[in-house]
Amino acid sequence: MKTGNIRDFLYEPPGPRTQKRIRIITGIALLGLLALLGLIVRQFSVTGQFDTKYWSFFTKWTTWRFLGQGLLTTLEAALTGSAISFTLGFLLMRGKFQGKTVRGISAFLIEFTRGVPTLLFIYFFFLVVPKTGWKPSAFWKITLPCAISACGVVAEALRSGVNAVPGGQREAALSLGLSERRTFYRIVFPQAFRYVIPSLIAELVIVLKDTTFAYVVSCAELMQNAKVLISNYDAMLSIYLVVAVIYILINYLLNTLSERIAGSQRRSVQMIPEANKGVAAHG
Amino acid sequence: MDNHSSVPMIELRHVNKHYGDLHVLRDISLSVRKGEVVVIIGPSGSGKSTLCRSINRLETIDSGEIFLEGEPIPREGKKLAELRGQIGMVFQSFNLFAHMSVLDNITLAPVDVLRKGRKEAREEALQLLERVGVRDQADKVPAQLSGGQQQRAAIARSLAMHPKVMLFDEPTSALDPEMIQEVLNVIAELAKEGMTMLIVTHEMNFARRVADRVIFMDGGQIVEENTPDRFFSDPESQRARDFLHSLHAE
Repeated sequence: MKTGNIRDFLYEPPGPRTQKRIRIITGIALLGLLALLGLIVRQFSVTGQFDTKYWSFFTKWTTWRFLGQGLLTTLEAALTGSAISFTLGFLLMRGKFQGKTVRGISAFLIEFTRGVPTLLFIYFFFLVVPKTGWKPSAFWKITLPCAISACGVVAEALRSGVNAVPGGQREAALSLGLSERRTFYRIVFPQAFRYVIPSLIAELVIVLKDTTFAYVVSCAELMQNAKVLISNYDAMLSIYLVVAVIYILINYLLNTLSERIAGSQRRSVQMIPEANKGVAAHG
Repeated sequence: MDNHSSVPMIELRHVNKHYGDLHVLRDISLSVRKGEVVVIIGPSGSGKSTLCRSINRLETIDSGEIFLEGEPIPREGKKLAELRGQIGMVFQSFNLFAHMSVLDNITLAPVDVLRKGRKEAREEALQLLERVGVRDQADKVPAQLSGGQQQRAAIARSLAMHPKVMLFDEPTSALDPEMIQEVLNVIAELAKEGMTMLIVTHEMNFARRVADRVIFMDGGQIVEENTPDRFFSDPESQRARDFLHSLHAE
């Protein structure tokens, strides 16, 4: 069976009249968007946003180096934060499958971290944590709260992956004499992990975007460096535009990666309920 | 007298199980001798699958005891895993590990549980795949195999643990008609080689051919135990008569 877009399952394909209508509406919408864009450009030029003083510093190498350094810190914080949140999320997910007490604690932590806004965790690390005597660097003051804020969502994503693995896989492993533990690590989790790779990458994107809160703790990541440039050159719009494009590019790359992985999963393993029905697929 | 052979390979004593108000296993007592092939038949919902799955504790029971060669099978822990490893199980939906090649499916437990060397396990796995006729599929993932091939590979996977007994839980119910025979042939071959087996099936001709003893279940109870010839030609119980009659009426 070919796996298609969810749209294909939910709606029947449009007929000739509908197709014509779709084309007309698409045309109108495109024209509207173009008009809006034109209006924006016009307003910018009227208010002088295209003046060379707002753009000339982009020809300087130092500007790009400064932004590049910020970008590196952003990536470093996002990757470190994600690694930490995946680890914590995994532990919380394991906790959800344990006895009553551990399960309760895990459920509470998951709800807590999912419910509290990232910014609050950041303020906690910024204002409260230093008073305990432990003074983390600016990098950790942004990375740790972002990680904590994401770990509950990661735990739930992993758990849904584990639940999506057909029970027969577990039963087969147990019937062969594998312990519960081995069954989980050899059979259930590897399959669950494949299911949730796209969700995990989506979470990585969220962590990356959360790191823009770093201005609170003055960690020199991309957003913070952009702010420094803005106050230096007194050029808000041009810099925000460029930085936005950088963020969009990175997140677009991550999303493409996630779709690639999801696509290759479907091709190589296929979704298991189908495999278990034994639909012949010689090839 | 050989005292050892008088110990049944599998024995259930007064096993009971409820799903809420539904009494799915009613005081089941049953034993299977070494080398015996016992076939369980009965209408759907009669508890035959539950009975089969309760033997290696994939299904919990409320009361009663279960023994493998006289040794009680505990409810949890290392000993349970060890005894499960000695009881092969073949499922209706094959349950080959979807993320591994067919070969890895078969070597997994021998390496992981029996601590066999990889090379040895691999050679034996290939022999087993040869025996069930899917050696040429060894490097594919299960989804690339037909249902019949998957089920035969699943049987090979169980055999790799050198089980003392094999449980078959409706092994052909999920198969397309043209693939049923190839799987039944493999099971019949095992019967001929003297494997102790407990088979839940709807394939009456097959049951008649391979069974040493037929157990008929209905409503969570063992209604009749008989030789296959007697059971299919002249069953003792009215319920078995009705059941067989309903099959012929189709």
